Amino acid sequence: MPSAVVIGQALVSGLLAGGLYGLLALGLSLSWGLLRLVNLGYFAITFLGAYLVYQLHESYGIAPWWAAMLVVPLFFCLGVAQHWVFLRFRVSELASLLVTFGLSVIVESGIQLVWTADYRRLETHYASASFKIGPLYVPVLDLAACLAAAALAWATWAWLRWTYVGKALRASAEDPDIAAAYGVDHKRLSYLLSGICAGYAGVAGAFIALISTLAPSQIWAWLGVVFAVVIIGRVGNPVGALVAGLLIGASESIAMAFLSPAWAPVVSFSALIVLLLWQPDWL
Amino acid sequence: MRAQTGLAGAVAAAGALGLALLPMAGMPAFYDSFLYLVFFWISLATSWAILSGFAGYFSFGHAAFFGAGMYTTANLAAKHDVPLLATIPLAGLVAAALGVGIGAVVFRLKRLRGELFALLTLAVTFIVATVILNTPIDGGSGVFLSNVPVPKIVASQSGSIYVLGFVLCAATMVIAWWVAHSRLGMGLAAIHDDEDVAETKGVPTFRYKLAALALSAGIAGAVGGVHAVYVGFLTVGDTFGIAVPLYVVLMSVLGGARHWLGPAIGAIAIGTSLYAFTGGDMAMIGRAIVAFVLIVAILVLPDGVVPAVQAWLKRRRGAISTAPVVVAAVPPVPRMAAPDENAPVALTIRDVAKSFGGLQALRGVTLDVRKGEILGLVGPNGSGKTTLINMITGHFPLTSGTIALGDAAIGALPAHRIARLGVARTYQIPRPFAHLSALDNVALSAVFGGAATSIAAARADAGCWLSFAGLGGKAAALPAELNLHERKFLEFARALAAKPKLLLLDEVLSGLNPSEIDRAIELIRGIRAEGTTIVFVEHLMRAVVELSDRVAVLNEGTLLALGAPREIMRDPRVVSVYLGKDHAA
Amino acid sequence: MLLEARALSVAYGDAPAVWDASLEVDEGEIVSVIGPNGAGKTTLINAIAGMMRWRSGTLHFAGEDMAGVAAHAVCGRGIALVPEGRRLFTRMSVEENLEIGCYVAKARAHRDVSLERVYTLFPILREKRTQLAGLLSGGQQQMVALGRALMARPRIVLLDEPSLGLAPSIVDDMFAIIRAIRDEGVAVLLVEQNVHKALEIADRAYVLEHGRTVASGDPATLMGQPHIREAYLGL
Repeated sequence: MPSAVVIGQALVSGLLAGGLYGLLALGLSLSWGLLRLVNLGYFAITFLGAYLVYQLHESYGIAPWWAAMLVVPLFFCLGVAQHWVFLRFRVSELASLLVTFGLSVIVESGIQLVWTADYRRLETHYASASFKIGPLYVPVLDLAACLAAAALAWATWAWLRWTYVGKALRASAEDPDIAAAYGVDHKRLSYLLSGICAGYAGVAGAFIALISTLAPSQIWAWLGVVFAVVIIGRVGNPVGALVAGLLIGASESIAMAFLSPAWAPVVSFSALIVLLLWQPDWL
Repeated sequence: MRAQTGLAGAVAAAGALGLALLPMAGMPAFYDSFLYLVFFWISLATSWAILSGFAGYFSFGHAAFFGAGMYTTANLAAKHDVPLLATIPLAGLVAAALGVGIGAVVFRLKRLRGELFALLTLAVTFIVATVILNTPIDGGSGVFLSNVPVPKIVASQSGSIYVLGFVLCAATMVIAWWVAHSRLGMGLAAIHDDEDVAETKGVPTFRYKLAALALSAGIAGAVGGVHAVYVGFLTVGDTFGIAVPLYVVLMSVLGGARHWLGPAIGAIAIGTSLYAFTGGDMAMIGRAIVAFVLIVAILVLPDGVVPAVQAWLKRRRGAISTAPVVVAAVPPVPRMAAPDENAPVALTIRDVAKSFGGLQALRGVTLDVRKGEILGLVGPNGSGKTTLINMITGHFPLTSGTIALGDAAIGALPAHRIARLGVARTYQIPRPFAHLSALDNVALSAVFGGAATSIAAARADAGCWLSFAGLGGKAAALPAELNLHERKFLEFARALAAKPKLLLLDEVLSGLNPSEIDRAIELIRGIRAEGTTIVFVEHLMRAVVELSDRVAVLNEGTLLALGAPREIMRDPRVVSVYLGKDHAA
Repeated sequence: MLLEARALSVAYGDAPAVWDASLEVDEGEIVSVIGPNGAGKTTLINAIAGMMRWRSGTLHFAGEDMAGVAAHAVCGRGIALVPEGRRLFTRMSVEENLEIGCYVAKARAHRDVSLERVYTLFPILREKRTQLAGLLSGGQQQMVALGRALMARPRIVLLDEPSLGLAPSIVDDMFAIIRAIRDEGVAVLLVEQNVHKALEIADRAYVLEHGRTVASGDPATLMGQPHIREAYLGL
């Protein structure tokens, strides 16, 4: 039986890791829920963002947050371009999954060509900064990622909840014909949302550059957990994605504290399977 | 035709023998290994397609079955000294058992299709991997097979593995061919297009999906067993990584996952091009090119290469031989007298009720239909007519009440059993299986409705039914190539092909023009003249009055009136239901 | 003339549902289209609402040709649809559903006034405004659907089977409100299977059969025509 401090520390790291899950799940969940497009390429784009932030820092000494300011608008445009292809070829939900799978492989190859398969690490003097609350260590960057995830999730939720554009997007997702009959131009809104989702990938990428070690193969490491988070948090629901991320992160690290680290994946995937089999109405 | 097929078979057999004997020709081990990998991908991609391509249950979990097979062989051969050849069938069995276990739970849930099924299988893979990693099956250190003796089929070890890989590949192709040309394949194709209709036409969908999953998983497991010896050292990371699910999907989709040959074509294309780019940056570029080709293929040829080539061939052939359109005239049928009141009862409906959530669609309907009768079922929108049809065919379970066909209670039976007892229906909006030809759409009903004993016999019958419905020249057409009226008559033909005792027609006349309506009315009379009992839902009152022996009027889920058509349609209650109150006076 | 359709034909893929439909609606009048199921009433109304393209014929609204107007631009011209089966956004609240009604910029400027008007017409909706629309009763859902259309400040409301699945007393209320809307100067094009109700309320009416407008005129005269009995009852 681990001590209370160990459990507490596990909970803190788990929640912080969960914040990052939530951040990664955000864009994926929105495009799936509101555009019916499953964007597997999201992970590859995120890592591309992370590498760009890393490179801008290495080559020109640009601070990661300034680098993110460059990457996010660029990714917005990429998202719009990708959506143009989807609309042009009337890509179905399943085909979107395959096309973006292919896209991931291309991006992964590109990353490996440019940055090699070696591990890269963005070295800063604040990389391992942390502070202490009682006996528990809280790493600063992880906390920042978690807070950014919370802020983005809340802002997105508020945007969908309280603005006309947000309401129109939700209405379009449910009944595009009737929404159009009331003046909603779904095409334009879907471009906007695709851009925003890709922009979120840029934000997530910047934090991944700050927090973790980069390698092309890492692209696939997050896939399973983040999909579990997206579904458990209810597809299309930004706050749900964050909460599910925190829950999964926390339960994974508790499981690691009690069993062994290698058992962690069982937690999220069992939760996902149980949920899929149980099929509550809101899924 | 027969000679051609025989020739093709002979060439294939000679080619296969040649390939099998290749290692004896003493070629360098490099080629053994290259060809082995091609066989490996062909078997794996084809096995994936048996479930995911044929039945449309898209799986990302093929690595789970493949890995289960690999670890079965590795453990038995390396740790328990079981002879290698004996472990391979066991590897297949273990993987098949895993598949059946998953399917038995998952296939009972109707909503688990599409992306949700795909993600579920992915999650299962991760869990299987984690369990293997953390138990003595792997233990985290990997399993070596270097000391496992490989039976000397040919002189070299690489040659022997090649032969094993080849035999499995050939077996897989034979199985895939057999499935594609059997009842199983026909049923799976129907499940892919429209599972609900497949069940209503008599396809035992649950059993068929389970069979497809067991076959698919079993082959993957056996392939994994051989591959364990090929790689010599297993780790969880390599086995359950993204490579297997990624490549089998790409290969099958590229080649055409619904065709038995498609995945093999895709596997050869991608497998060899992957091999062409080996080492360092070239491997990366190669992967990127393969991925790019995949994207283009999905955007431009969403059905895959083989179906695209087939369609092209069909167009070319169609341009050369314009088959004359045979329109069979329906012989005039003498008007049969309505069965009298002493006629035996064909369908008994007792207090049937159905609610969806809070909505009461049927509130207790009691009705007898006599043998050989034509009963018109009418009522305003939302009165429960189509719901009643859906209850009789077993599409929805009863909330309460009983339904019997003759003496047999059918209220609790699954839809495919009811279909086999002789109940057939048409859909208001035609729901043909989009990827089956008009002929096979009809033949499927004959096969699974119990009217035909073999697919060949069913196709022969189907030709007659198509002519009967005036679609004689359209046998090879896909439903999308037919216009709405032809699709309506196709609905007819496939309901009739089951030679039903009870035929349920749901608004067959809507959307037809007056002369087509007259033809359809003659057709319905013709069907009854053969002894079939008919219940038809219809809004076109002229036809109802003309055709029906009796009319049943439903309103708000209850039986409002029942009797001779002309009397019923003058009944003030019925008139007020149709025209609003006050109008009856 | 506010709305003028001439010889419209509309098809689903290769299957024509409306062959030759012509009708006119003037400002401030209720026009009913009656006809048996499958006659093409819903198709006709959806084409006018911009949800389907027509193959041939012309459609003019307030003097403008509607042929090149995109689906999402029709509402802005002053046409609002209450579709068959209501088709609310079930996962959104009552008020959000109403707000989609005033999505178009011109209508959005009057959001508060329009909302007040709808809540005055249907006080129950004010009570339920934060509830999910999917959880309301059928009658309340119909109110939301009608309210959503009014939020667009339309010059004409297209009503498709408003009485479907509703209890008789609620149907009466609904028709009283339709009259009230007309009295405020909004034109109403009504498709209804309850012939009696539809003719009772209408200023003028059309009979649609097999996708063709076969008769038109004064409701009282139409009521007595044998044509209608034949189409509906097959006698």
